[in-house]
Amino acid sequence: MKIVGITACIAGIAHTYMAAANLKKFAKKENCEIKIETQGAMGIENELTQAEIDEADVVIFAVDTTVQNEDRFNEKKILEVGTSKVVKDGKATIQDAIKLAKGE
Amino acid sequence: MNDKIGEFISEKNIVLNLGALNQSDAIQKLATVLKKNGYIDDVLAFQNDVLEREKASTTGIGNELAIPHGKSTHVIQTTMMFARNEEGIEWNSLDGSKVKNIFLMAVSPEDKGNEHLKMLATLSGELMDDDFVEAIKKADSKENILKILQKRGNER
Repeated sequence: MKIVGITACIAGIAHTYMAAANLKKFAKKENCEIKIETQGAMGIENELTQAEIDEADVVIFAVDTTVQNEDRFNEKKILEVGTSKVVKDGKATIQDAIKLAKGE
Repeated sequence: MNDKIGEFISEKNIVLNLGALNQSDAIQKLATVLKKNGYIDDVLAFQNDVLEREKASTTGIGNELAIPHGKSTHVIQTTMMFARNEEGIEWNSLDGSKVKNIFLMAVSPEDKGNEHLKMLATLSGELMDDDFVEAIKKADSKENILKILQKRGNER
């Protein structure tokens, strides 16, 4: 299972990076490959390539604000959640994403 | 880019036995230390900016931890403070726990993509690591807390 995602919070200081870390942590536990692009106070980092997006089984938007360059994700299966939910329960977010990818 | 947490903070950035009665008091006490150390120029204005952010959504991330943060024009230099409060403070936490460990982040709006922001991003990521959080919660001296922060920063 390949997952890509975007994390972005309002201030772009803490939750963007906590959500990214938690998604990576729980994706690893579920044996998923994951790459997260952070859109925070330092701008876009770890930017996803179009090829990585195209290859992904599912996309996670863990965001409290608008996603930059959202048109890259046209026609992808997207799970959208707030950053706080991902910080609180990253495991549930990854499991929901897997379900979405499998069409369950 | 340098993200070594230990290079940006010293024992001056750590307060044990904060003795705060509530959330607002905790932030004010920490803001007072920041002012004294020259990181902010106005205690009440900075406190207000942090509480405004808190209104948008809680920074009580669970596990007795909170990470209040303010991007404020009253910040002279971006930094962070760690504080321990013996009594748990009500913080509207995601898991309902009362807060005993506080990382306060003070961010200047002028900062974009610099190493101080990188340090805060690194620290934020570390807070999702159960081992890191347990070590911080158990540490009982400024020296030990600083050591944990420095060690983690260096590994990244």
